[in-house]
Amino acid sequence: MFATRTIARPARRLCAAPQCLSLARSLSTTPAIKAQHASSDATSGTSTPKKRKPLTQEQRDFLSSALRVNQSGELAAVLIYTAQGPPILRKHPHLRTLMAHMHDQEAEHFKTFNKLIHKHRVRPSALYPLWSVMATGLGWSTAVMGREAAMACTEAVETEIGGHYNAQIRTLLEMVGQWEAEGYEVGAEFTDLLSTLRRIRDEELEHLDHALENDAKAAEPHWLLTGVIRAGCRGAIWVSERV
Amino acid sequence: MACPTSARAALRASIRPLQTVAASPSTSTSSSLYRRHYHSYDHPPPPGPFGATESAILAAAYKHVPEHGFTQTALTHGARDAGLPDISPSVLTNGPFTLIKYHLITQRQALAERSRQLFERDDAPAGVGGKVAALTWERLLANKDIIHRWQEALAVMAQPSYVPESIKELAALSDEIWFLAGDTAVDPSWYTKRATLSMVYTTTELFMTNDHSPDYVETGKFLTRRLDEVKSVGGALGNIGQWVGFTANAGINILRSKGVRI
Ligand SMILES: [Fe+2]
Ligand SMILES: [Fe+2]
Repeated sequence: MFATRTIARPARRLCAAPQCLSLARSLSTTPAIKAQHASSDATSGTSTPKKRKPLTQEQRDFLSSALRVNQSGELAAVLIYTAQGPPILRKHPHLRTLMAHMHDQEAEHFKTFNKLIHKHRVRPSALYPLWSVMATGLGWSTAVMGREAAMACTEAVETEIGGHYNAQIRTLLEMVGQWEAEGYEVGAEFTDLLSTLRRIRDEELEHLDHALENDAKAAEPHWLLTGVIRAGCRGAIWVSERV
Repeated sequence: MACPTSARAALRASIRPLQTVAASPSTSTSSSLYRRHYHSYDHPPPPGPFGATESAILAAAYKHVPEHGFTQTALTHGARDAGLPDISPSVLTNGPFTLIKYHLITQRQALAERSRQLFERDDAPAGVGGKVAALTWERLLANKDIIHRWQEALAVMAQPSYVPESIKELAALSDEIWFLAGDTAVDPSWYTKRATLSMVYTTTELFMTNDHSPDYVETGKFLTRRLDEVKSVGGALGNIGQWVGFTANAGINILRSKGVRI
């Protein structure tokens, strides 16, 4: 978690201009880009067919809990935006397009992980109903506090989620890199998963940008709101990786 | 058996591609009961639940179960058939329970192939519910040859040290049936569906141990009644996404639809 903050945040703080945000993003994905080339080389087919390595118990555990926590997180995101909608849009109709756009992206993320959970036969989080209630409560209560608080909620959530996806991507890259180093092939299952995670991570960071553009920092008291929400996110991630 | 070595190799080949059961010891929470590990389509599966020698003995011993039950006697016969008369006691620590597990696991794994045969036919059941019923029935029929020995087996499975693994295998069977039936729901109905089917399966199996009707027609009727009950009571079968209706989100939507401005 802390590593994420040092990757994503300082670049943002140093420069407020939009082009710097893309710099921050590319900084955090530098190893990702390298491995993308490496893995596309492996899949685009050398003449000798390479073997694939069986997954270790540890790797399967990691993948199970990663897909599970991502599903819970995206469920929560959908519900947060759904709950925030009416109170915010009543007072700020001009945000309709933005809120709808972010909601639709979350809905697509949620669908993506639902499919992956089913396909790879991972069980969903047993606390699914609890996440539903908490996310709706969080979305609704920050929305009634006003636009700034709602955006601070998005800022806090997306910061944690973005960092969380980055951590997953890094672990996957290590896995894939290890296979390549040992002369094994990396199949589409993992290159696809990596590109899916990268795409979703980038979209989460866009949400973070939108929140900052819409005065998330003006929420009072910003430090308390984001602090509490981010601690809550970390707790929820910790729990749904396990339960 | 004329050629134990090649028989063993064939057995190993038949066991290898199948999925393993979860390796970690089970605890009492529902989430560990339903522990599932990422299933890869790109990578070779992890090693099966039984070693090569173990598989050879168990497969041979399984043929003696109708006559001798899930017992040490069947295992001894099996070891002899597999050409390994001396080492059987040391390989199979849990003896009869391992033989029971062999039955549970191999019959569960056989369902995948059965479902392919069943569901490509023209008269295949259309909906998920119908497929669940058909697969559950198939699995029950796989008990046919050993059903007269099954009450003894249940007594072994009910011993405290074997209960966690027995329940885990039951959960794995329910999961397999819902997956093969094509159910894609990954909301909390995932849990209720598996729990409900586990209950239906267990009670029907118990009924089957006392059923002497031809072709187990009474068991078939019993199964249909239980599944109908489940459908009428909770709608756990076939009702996808119902659980979301219990969330606060739905609560808010209801209030909003009633004109409450939240
Ligand atoms: Fe998302
Ligand atoms: Fe997001």
